[in-house]
Amino acid sequence: MSALTTVPKRRRRSIIARVGWPRFLQEIGMLAPAVVLMTAFLITPFLLSFWTAMTNQPLVPRPTPVRFIGLKNFLRILNDDLFWTSLWNVTRFTLWVLPVQCGLAFVTALILNQKIPFRNVFRGMFFLPAITSMVVVCVIWGTLFQYPTGPLNHIVVTLSGGHVEPIDWLGDPNWAMFSIVLLSAWQAYGFQMIIYLAGMQGIPDELYDAARIDGAGRWGRFWHVTMPGLRPTHVFVLVITTIQAFKLYTQVAILTQGGPRSSTETVVHYMVRAGFEEQKLGYASSVSVILFLIVLVIALIQRRLMRRFDV
Amino acid sequence: MSDLALSSRKPAASLNGYRVVQSISVFVIALVVVSPLFMLFIASLKDDRFQILADMGSFRAFWVDNPTFNNFREVGNFAGELAFGRYLGNSLFILGSTVSLGLVINSMAGFILAWGSLPGRALILSVIIALYVIPQESIIMPLLIIVSRAGLSDTFTAQILPFVASPLYTFLFYQFFAQLPKELYEAASIDGASIFRTWWSIFVPLSLPALATVSILMGIETWNQYLWPILITQTDYARPISVAIATFFGQDSIYWDRAMAASVMMMIPILVFYLAFQRWFISSFVGSAVKG
Repeated sequence: MSALTTVPKRRRRSIIARVGWPRFLQEIGMLAPAVVLMTAFLITPFLLSFWTAMTNQPLVPRPTPVRFIGLKNFLRILNDDLFWTSLWNVTRFTLWVLPVQCGLAFVTALILNQKIPFRNVFRGMFFLPAITSMVVVCVIWGTLFQYPTGPLNHIVVTLSGGHVEPIDWLGDPNWAMFSIVLLSAWQAYGFQMIIYLAGMQGIPDELYDAARIDGAGRWGRFWHVTMPGLRPTHVFVLVITTIQAFKLYTQVAILTQGGPRSSTETVVHYMVRAGFEEQKLGYASSVSVILFLIVLVIALIQRRLMRRFDV
Repeated sequence: MSDLALSSRKPAASLNGYRVVQSISVFVIALVVVSPLFMLFIASLKDDRFQILADMGSFRAFWVDNPTFNNFREVGNFAGELAFGRYLGNSLFILGSTVSLGLVINSMAGFILAWGSLPGRALILSVIIALYVIPQESIIMPLLIIVSRAGLSDTFTAQILPFVASPLYTFLFYQFFAQLPKELYEAASIDGASIFRTWWSIFVPLSLPALATVSILMGIETWNQYLWPILITQTDYARPISVAIATFFGQDSIYWDRAMAASVMMMIPILVFYLAFQRWFISSFVGSAVKG
């Protein structure tokens, strides 16, 4: 094709020489909106957060200039007991929600992976809370948690034959976080369930047939075929759930506002309070940098584990 | 079939026992999952907010004697104190604009990244993948500075524009376009079609699965936004229904009847779509997860 051209060939011709101006401009025009918007609303705030974190930036502009204060915000956060309480609370929440939510999702997926009648109907039904807005979930569970005569208390009292006193689900510092766990697991477990189901359906039937020929029973097949085959799925589900759990906000903001006695205070709720209610945006940005670092570490751990299991 | 032959040695009774346990657990899970939702719909048809709470402890929670739409009539105004008609409209407008702009912009970008000839595409792609790890919660404070300095507080724009372009959705489109055959692209360029035309009249019509996935994921995400609109809206003008429902909890005594009706209003649009496209919903969420 290029045998006839007399122009001496360079190793790489510029893009414009290769495709011409009109096409070059079109490509720029098609890519630019996404790049510009992501730069403006994702990259800029992200980079800005590291800068704001080291200033005393208020929410509403003041006549006094914004001062650079170095790592003072971070020192203040690390010396604030409420921050450590919130970090401990989300850790507690994670430790509860992982077994409850993922365990329930796993068991449900195992059942739905069998050839039971109306399996798709059940799958669709169990996924329903996952598409329900958290605000609506809070309205529903706000009534279920009513003290002392709500439905959950009714069930607890009846099942225990009257031996257990009604529980103040959201008002008792010992119960509040557990109640948030119940509601969150109910709302989100459908997502983990369909991920597990997809993972189970990805295990080839031949493996089960081979195990059967080797004389493996139901348990043998579960331990030696299903579980090893699901290893990457387990890693993914656990990591995604952990990241979600560390970002806990909406249900707490609506139902308990971090209370009672800070027993449901979370990192994001702490951040929003500092930035929005106390108007200390610099301080809040420092919290958001810490939150990002936590999420990053979890994501890096996932990448490592995934790589190990994929090989 | 061989399955049956092999397992037939087992006594039938244990197989049945297993089946019974299975059916009971599915039934119990279904009850736990669905009854709170069902209760919500029933309660929204009851007029008396004290009766709603009184009924909760019994089977009356699942039954309504005189269904009435009074609650909906009460909250479904377009102005005034309980302007949930307006809030619902706001939410639908934000949803429609975000998703339609998002489909166009992320699809174009994904296409150029997959088939364009700009230098540095690989770099842009890896930056986009890296951006995916940034949680919205951790940029929301500086975003608040940017958006309010731009004079966009309390606008629809502030709730639409920042979320239109997204690393995940651009990547999903990129992934979909990249696996289409090379011949498709070559045929179009031999015909002399411009790259925009190639995208619009050949690749877009083929990308229905990707369009559906992105619409569903983006739609759910936009519909359920809570933290950002609570920070950025101060008046009724652009307030979405999620924020408005949450204000029921700020009162000393919660009007459960109205809260239930407003919740049903918020749920119905998603529910209708879900019932119509259930299979698509589930495969979209699975598809959003395969990326490691």
